[in-house]
Amino acid sequence: MRRRFSFLWAFIILISLCACQGNFGSVNLQDAIQIPEGGIIEENVIRQLKSENAIGMFYGQSNGLKYEWTIFGSDIAETKDIKLEVTIDEVKDREINVTLSQDGSFGFYGLLSIHLTEKWAENSATAYQNEQPVISVSLTGGKNKTILNCNLDGSLKSFVIKPDALSEEDSVSKETEDDTEESTKDQYLTDPIPEGKPKPVEPENQEVDKRKTYTCTFSIECSTILNNLEQLDPDKLEMVPSGGVILPQTKVTFYEGESVFDVLQRVCKEHGIHMESSWTPIYNSAYIEGIHNLYEFDCGSLSGWMYHVNGWYPNYGCSRYQLKDGDVVEWRYTCDLGNDVGRGMN
Amino acid sequence: MSVDCFAKYHPLVNFLYFVLVIGFSMILNHPVAQGISFICACAYAVQIEGKKAVLFTLKWCLPIMLLTAFMNPAFSHEGVTILLYFPTGNPLTLESILYGLSSGVMLATVMLWFVNFNRVITSDKFIYLFGRIIPALSLVLSMTLRFIPKFKAQMNIVVDAQRSIGRDISEGSLWKRMKIAVTVLSIMVTWALENAIETADSMKSRGYGLKGRTAFSIYRFDDRDNYALLYLGFCGCYLVTGMIVSAFGFRYFPSIRYIGLNMVTISFQFVYLILCIMPTVLNAVEERKWKIIHSNM
Repeated sequence: MRRRFSFLWAFIILISLCACQGNFGSVNLQDAIQIPEGGIIEENVIRQLKSENAIGMFYGQSNGLKYEWTIFGSDIAETKDIKLEVTIDEVKDREINVTLSQDGSFGFYGLLSIHLTEKWAENSATAYQNEQPVISVSLTGGKNKTILNCNLDGSLKSFVIKPDALSEEDSVSKETEDDTEESTKDQYLTDPIPEGKPKPVEPENQEVDKRKTYTCTFSIECSTILNNLEQLDPDKLEMVPSGGVILPQTKVTFYEGESVFDVLQRVCKEHGIHMESSWTPIYNSAYIEGIHNLYEFDCGSLSGWMYHVNGWYPNYGCSRYQLKDGDVVEWRYTCDLGNDVGRGMN
Repeated sequence: MSVDCFAKYHPLVNFLYFVLVIGFSMILNHPVAQGISFICACAYAVQIEGKKAVLFTLKWCLPIMLLTAFMNPAFSHEGVTILLYFPTGNPLTLESILYGLSSGVMLATVMLWFVNFNRVITSDKFIYLFGRIIPALSLVLSMTLRFIPKFKAQMNIVVDAQRSIGRDISEGSLWKRMKIAVTVLSIMVTWALENAIETADSMKSRGYGLKGRTAFSIYRFDDRDNYALLYLGFCGCYLVTGMIVSAFGFRYFPSIRYIGLNMVTISFQFVYLILCIMPTVLNAVEERKWKIIHSNM
């Protein structure tokens, strides 16, 4: 009798232990693969990526610079041997020459991320071939390094990446951010607004005048996730678009007096993009919890959505930012409290 | 309403059965598994309680199911299928509705299983199982579980007694009735405290929880209990394996993804069905046997 009891206890404990581990894993992220000598990735690897609908990470090094390819299985149209080896050298200061070893197209687009050892202050860069701009390059990275991300299909054999000119507003904001001192916050806990930046307009004071219409540019992107895929909630993998762009730069019409939040809500509705927000009284603004089913904290505990208007990350909520004609609004997903999307935290 | 033959098995078998069934009902969120568990819980409840169980399901389980199904999408807006927009601008998604429905069914199922649990695992069985291992806690638990019905019965007695001396709770002005109700409540609280102390003293004077004390029990562990235990052990292990290989995988957010039904996953669902339906089938078989014997007499 006693023996039977002890057997049962062991059994119950075993069951409860096993039950704790039985969770539902969807697509497993494969480990990053080092690009072999010669750079050839064989067809069977590509086919596996395609059939498992997985994301492949291939890394290598050239002249002391690390680079990695991120390839989405869902993007792969045809499978064949491809060469992922890349030669990177910094020909001049802040001019990166990139040469692919691939001849002809891969048959799909892959994301090439180049890890620079220095920090570029700019927000974007462009790739040039024979002094002609060919593709735009997005910049991510942390406090003291920058990652260049470009979408390539292999047909562009060789190009030079140069940073775009730093806009005046950027340099202004940099300076003012540097010398902000401890000073009083307003009633909604907002630090002083840098010189030359628009002051917040409280939502209750905003008067929308539907007779006057203006246009602004809106875009939504999450390319930082592609650099932090190992932190991403595996269930959310399918929500990440292959280039990281959820909404490409789009001209949007708005009425006088509307805030960034009003326009974001309308744009998302019109384009059928999922968006969830919650009203936060202490900041007197809406808080964007998630766009396109990518929520805050989905890619690490420091992740979430930030907005960026004309090269500046406002230090107040998006319901308090009143848009002006011609504003360029970018919504970017950060995995590191904004450090990886070019927001200088002081 | 038939005789509950499953309840006559050894308490260990009863208890293990409910641990397994309630545990799996709380963990598995595959709709097929949830449906199996819900239907089996209903079937068993109706079998042992008859009309009362149907009433309970309609009165409590159905509203809870509907409430969670409506409440969830009001607070959770995740999901890829946008149906329409709330006035706040947040979307109403199909996934959150289905998830709410699923949690509602899970809640109702677990409630029903607990109703069955209370019916089968009576307090003497509970004390028999745990009296030795956790004497104080098992006594407190069984006293607490017994408290509400006992309190209700005692309250009826007190209310009747008060009525006979002219303090009718159903007559008079609101103020007067409230005064009587407070008196009744005060009597009940005194009674409950005194009753608890008396029970404790009584158990202490009988040497409850002392070393070497034996307890009378009429439970025998015979062959059929052995087989039942083996059966439960097999089902439990098989289902845990199924969970490890995620045969019951079902994901609601951000989009609905699940492991399709194939021979392997169907086998796991089948084992879950034969685990949940076990007492209902045992009772039905017993009833049939009894009828055959009866007609032969």
